[in-house]
Amino acid sequence: MSQPPAAANANETTGSLASGAASAPRSSIATVITGGLTPPRSPVGLRPHVVEFRNVTKTYNSGKSDQFTAIRDVTFVVEDVADKGEFVCVLGPSGCGKSTILRLIAGLEPQHPATNGDVLILGQSVVGPGSDRGMVFQDYTSFDHRTVLENVTFGLECLHMPRKQRDELGREWIQKMGLNVTTDADKFPHELSGGMRQRVAIARTLILKPRIILMDEPFGALDPLTRLNMQDLLVKLWKEVQATVFFITHSIEEAVFLGDRVYLMSNSPGTILEELKIEPATSSANEMQRQPKFLEAVYYIRDKITKLESNQ
Amino acid sequence: MNSTFLDRLLHNWLTLRKPVSRLQAVGLGVACILLCLTGWWLLTLGEYESRIVGPLTLPSPAETFGKFSELWNDFALTRNVLVTLRRVSIGFALALVVGIPIGVTAGCFPRVHAFLSPLIMIGRNVPLAAVLGLMIFIFGSGEKNKVMFIFVASVAFVISDAARAIMDVSARYIDTAYTLGASRWQTISKVLVPLAAPTIFSACRQMFGLAFGYIMLAESIKIADEVGGLGYQIQIFQRRGFREHIYLIILVIPFVALVIDQVLAGIQRQLFPHVYGGDGVLRTLVRVILIPWENLKSLLFHKHLASLPPAATDEGPK
Ligand SMILES: Nc1ncnc2c1ncn2[C@@H]1O[C@H](COP(=O)(O)OP(=O)(O)OP(=O)(O)O)[C@@H](O)[C@H]1O
Ligand SMILES: [Mg+2]
Repeated sequence: MSQPPAAANANETTGSLASGAASAPRSSIATVITGGLTPPRSPVGLRPHVVEFRNVTKTYNSGKSDQFTAIRDVTFVVEDVADKGEFVCVLGPSGCGKSTILRLIAGLEPQHPATNGDVLILGQSVVGPGSDRGMVFQDYTSFDHRTVLENVTFGLECLHMPRKQRDELGREWIQKMGLNVTTDADKFPHELSGGMRQRVAIARTLILKPRIILMDEPFGALDPLTRLNMQDLLVKLWKEVQATVFFITHSIEEAVFLGDRVYLMSNSPGTILEELKIEPATSSANEMQRQPKFLEAVYYIRDKITKLESNQ
Repeated sequence: MNSTFLDRLLHNWLTLRKPVSRLQAVGLGVACILLCLTGWWLLTLGEYESRIVGPLTLPSPAETFGKFSELWNDFALTRNVLVTLRRVSIGFALALVVGIPIGVTAGCFPRVHAFLSPLIMIGRNVPLAAVLGLMIFIFGSGEKNKVMFIFVASVAFVISDAARAIMDVSARYIDTAYTLGASRWQTISKVLVPLAAPTIFSACRQMFGLAFGYIMLAESIKIADEVGGLGYQIQIFQRRGFREHIYLIILVIPFVALVIDQVLAGIQRQLFPHVYGGDGVLRTLVRVILIPWENLKSLLFHKHLASLPPAATDEGPK
C-alpha cells in the first residue's frame, strides 16, 4: 500500500475536525461532521426526517443461549433535503451490522423489528416492508421464472397496472439501464451476466420511484470495470429519481465517489463512529477516481478506519 | 502400447460425469437391449430338453413374440392399457388437485405444516395392502376403489413434496417481492409457486411412475365383477399358465411408462423454459389464457404509481 499523500496526513493532525463543516480541510473532499453519537434534534415545524434511528439495538435470538447483539445504540438522522435525496454510503468491517441496519429500514424479518429503539421513516415507525423502500441485494435475486421485462415490471404488475402500460414503462427502463430492449427484454435471468442481472435488479426497483433506495453491496460481485460503469449509471439515474439512497459497500473509493455522506461503522456490536460529508462527484467514476483530491479523501478515510479500529 | 490404448479408452469413455450426445445415449441403450435379447436367445436355444433354461421358466424370444398378436387381438391389449391408464390418471389427478394446494399452503405457512404433519406422516407410511383392503370395504368392487386407492396412496407424497419445494425457495425472493410492493398473496402466486413449480412437476412425474405400478397391484385383486386392466390380465395369464403373455406384458409396461414419461417431459420443457431452455410454448399459452383475467384485475384494482401510499404508512404485506 502506498503512503498517503502529505496533505492527508496534515488533515489527520489538524484532526479536531469534529467542529463541523466550516473547518473543512481545503485539500480534501471529505469532512467530518460528527464524531460518533450525537442525539438528533427532532424537527420542529419542519419536514420529518427521511430516516431516523433512535438508539436502535438489534439482538438476534434474544433470550436464547446463542443471542448476539449485532448493532448497539445506533442513532442517526438523514434529513429531507428539498427536491433532492441524499446519497448515504455505509462503510464498515464485515459483520459489523451494515445489512442489519439496511434491513431494519426495509422492515424485513428477522432484523425487523428492532430489539430496542425506534426506526422512523418520515416520522413514522416502520411496520413492515413496502415498495416505498426499494431494495437491491448483493446476491442475485432476479425471479428466475420471469423474463427481463417481466422482472422489471414486477412491482407494476403488483399494482395491477395494465399490461400495455407497464410493458412500455418497463422497456423504457431497460433502455435506461443500458440493456438492449430488442435482444435482452425476453431473456431469462440465467442467460444474463452478473452485471446485467444487477441492472435488472436496479431497474425493477427504480421503476417504482421509491422514496428510499436501499442497496446492499450491489456491485460487490462485479469486476472492477463493470463496477465503474455501474457507478456512473447509478449517479445518473439517482439524479433523475431524486430518492434518498442507502448504499453499503466495502470499497472506500466507491463510497467517496457515490456518497454525499459516509457513515463509518465500528466492529460488532456495530455503532456509527463517524459521519463524513463528501463533495459531490464532478466527473465520471474512472476519471474522478484518479484525481489526487479524490485519492486523498480515500486515504484519509482509510487512515481514519485504521485509527478507529486500533482505538477499540 | 497396450496400456496406453486402454488408458485412452478409459479416459475417453469413462470421464467423470462427461455429458453424452443424444445419439450415443440412444445407441448405448439399444446396445443394452440387444445384449439382453442375445442372452435370452442363447439361454433358450434349441429343443425344449436341450435348453439351458427350461421353457417352463423362460420361453424363447420367438415363442414369446409369437404370442403378441394373440395378446393384441384376443386379449385386447390396447383396451386394457387404456383402462389401467384411465384409473391411474383419475386417481392421480385427484391427488394433485387436492395435494398441491394443501402442500403449497403448508409450505407457505409453517403453522399449517406443523398442524398437518401427523397426517402427512401417516399417509406416507400407510401400508398399501391395508389401503387396498379398506378401499374395497368402503367403495366396494368396481372402479371407485381403484381410483381411490391411487389417490390415498399418493396424496400424502404430493402434499409433502409440494410443501418441501415451496420451503426450498430461498427467502431472499420473498424479501425482494416484499420490497417491490407485493402483497402476501401476490408473493405466493407470482413468486413462490412459480419458482417451486419445476420441482413440484418433477416430483409428480416420478410419483406417477410409481402410481402406475400401484394400480396393477390393485387390479390384481379379484372381486366379483372385475373389468379389465393390465394387472387383471396378468392375474388371468398367471392362473392359466401363459408364461409368454406374462413376459410380453412385462416388456410392454416399461414401454407404456416410457411413452407417458416422455410426454410429461415434453410438457415440462414447454412449461418451464427457464429451466430446460427452448421456446416455452405451453408457458406462453398459459400466459395468453390468463390475459383476460389479468386485464379484469387491472380494470378493478389499478393503483397509480403517483398514488402510492406515503413512506412507512402502509402496513406492509399482510
Ligand atoms: N439472522 C441472523 N441471526 C443471527 N445472527 C445474525 C443474523 N443476521 C446477521 N447476524 C449476525 O449479525 C452480525 C451483523 O450481520 P450483518 O449481516 O448486518 O453484517 P454486515 O455488516 O452486513 O456484514 P457483511 O459486510 O459481511 O455483509 C454478524 O455477526 C452476523 O453473524
Ligand atoms: Mg451484509
